[in-house]
Amino acid sequence: MIVLVCLESPEPSRASRAALSIARRFAGTAQIVALSAGGPVASASLDMARRSGAHRVIHLDEPALDRADFFTLGMVLAEAARHIGATLVIAGERSDDEGQGLVPAAVAHHLGAPIVARVQDVESSLATPNAVVLTVRAGGRKNRIEMALPLVLSTPPAPIAANDAAIVSHASLPSVQTMTFARLGLDHSRVVPRPDLLGTRVPLSAPRIQYKSFDEVVEMLLRR
Amino acid sequence: MTNPSRFVVAEARRIADAAGATVYALLTLGSCSHVEIDQLAAQVSAAGADRILCSSDEILAGVPLDVTHGMLLAQIAERLRPLLFLFPAGGVGIELGPPLAVRIGAAYFPHASIDVRAEDRMPEAASQRIVLHRWRAARDGQRRVDVADLERPVVATLAAATVSRPLGEPCAEVEMLPCPEPKYARPRELTSEITAEDSEVELCSAMVLSAAPVSPAIRSALNADLAPGTVLVVDGEAEPVSLHAASPNEIFIVSSATEVDDVYLSSQVPGAKVTHVGEPGYVSSAAIEDLAAAMDRARAARSKVSS
Repeated sequence: MIVLVCLESPEPSRASRAALSIARRFAGTAQIVALSAGGPVASASLDMARRSGAHRVIHLDEPALDRADFFTLGMVLAEAARHIGATLVIAGERSDDEGQGLVPAAVAHHLGAPIVARVQDVESSLATPNAVVLTVRAGGRKNRIEMALPLVLSTPPAPIAANDAAIVSHASLPSVQTMTFARLGLDHSRVVPRPDLLGTRVPLSAPRIQYKSFDEVVEMLLRR
Repeated sequence: MTNPSRFVVAEARRIADAAGATVYALLTLGSCSHVEIDQLAAQVSAAGADRILCSSDEILAGVPLDVTHGMLLAQIAERLRPLLFLFPAGGVGIELGPPLAVRIGAAYFPHASIDVRAEDRMPEAASQRIVLHRWRAARDGQRRVDVADLERPVVATLAAATVSRPLGEPCAEVEMLPCPEPKYARPRELTSEITAEDSEVELCSAMVLSAAPVSPAIRSALNADLAPGTVLVVDGEAEPVSLHAASPNEIFIVSSATEVDDVYLSSQVPGAKVTHVGEPGYVSSAAIEDLAAAMDRARAARSKVSS
């Protein structure tokens, strides 16, 4: 089995870190491949992946991806997953800046695989070959479900552990391999930014209301 | 029916009244009797829905996943072609919203708030604009979209909030829909346990965050007069909770330290209005005590008025 972890570049989001963290469950049973798309080759994301037990670390070196929208990025990552032969794709649910959370769904759409969001944990199924057991929190419940591969999972953001970037420190860290659109059979013309899907950006500070007393707050709460 | 579900239907009602639209509400249920379906539909109708669509199938009984619910949503999107899909706050929108948006080529707005505003757009006649906005995860600004300007559907999840009164009548007609066969292999549910803390986090409409411990007595005082599940208190001694799925309408930060601001503003609760309680210099534990005392005073005042 090949597990592909999609990382943001150049800085890994908290959700990406969680994705890499749960992928480590397969360290002894599957090949873990970490992939970042766009951005520089030397990045904190790739460095973290190298030190976190990934067997292969791949950088998709295409400047055009820096202006790609989520749909295009999903298509490219899906092509990469196909090329690598991954049957389980794990991605962070959302970035730390925009936070829209559509890329994993776009990957699943283009890969033709089901998606499960908010995955807390994953392990190989002991009962069914070619399946995994997921721990998912939803609807006030903690569920363990078994699903067949191929599959795309997204992980919610997790707190940054002090040592999560330095799990492996041996001398034989994997080197970063680069991949191009040509290798994936993709054309640059397919990278079409669609910023309208994000909406207009309005730089604002948080609308903070400072109550002068707790009586004011209580009055407000009781009006609900 | 949870508070966030009532709120999402009420918001849809508010938009529909302004824009002259129809509110369809979708009920997805496991195997249920007609009586149970009618009872639920009456609640949804009373919350403000014009029409109720219901699909009842064993596959819909478990955790809502795209693999179980996605084809049903896509089928409805194909048939009704709605301009706006709204999901209530909580995990269901995070699970089902993005795949639906990708499938139908819609914009996706997580943890969104909705403004309905009259706008004069000369030379056109004045119209009601439906504007969705959400905080970027970095909290450095918002994204806004006018639904009419986008020329494509919008899928949004809303913040959690409570609704004070019913906006509709409990008499909507229910149209039963067959549940389409899933596109992929069905998941097999191994275990499913209710986790109260998850429900609290997902469904609370106000959150009090404090670095200092909060006693059980104060917690119960905070909740005594409010709708169940309205307020969630998270303090320094609370069990670690995943705030990722939380989207309270308001957050109260009880703190004396400005740096706590940054901690909680980056605590994965986008969409929320942040409210600071108390002047700089308050000690956290004292501030919470004051809040509880103020609740007591307010309760006493209210009981005096009602008697």
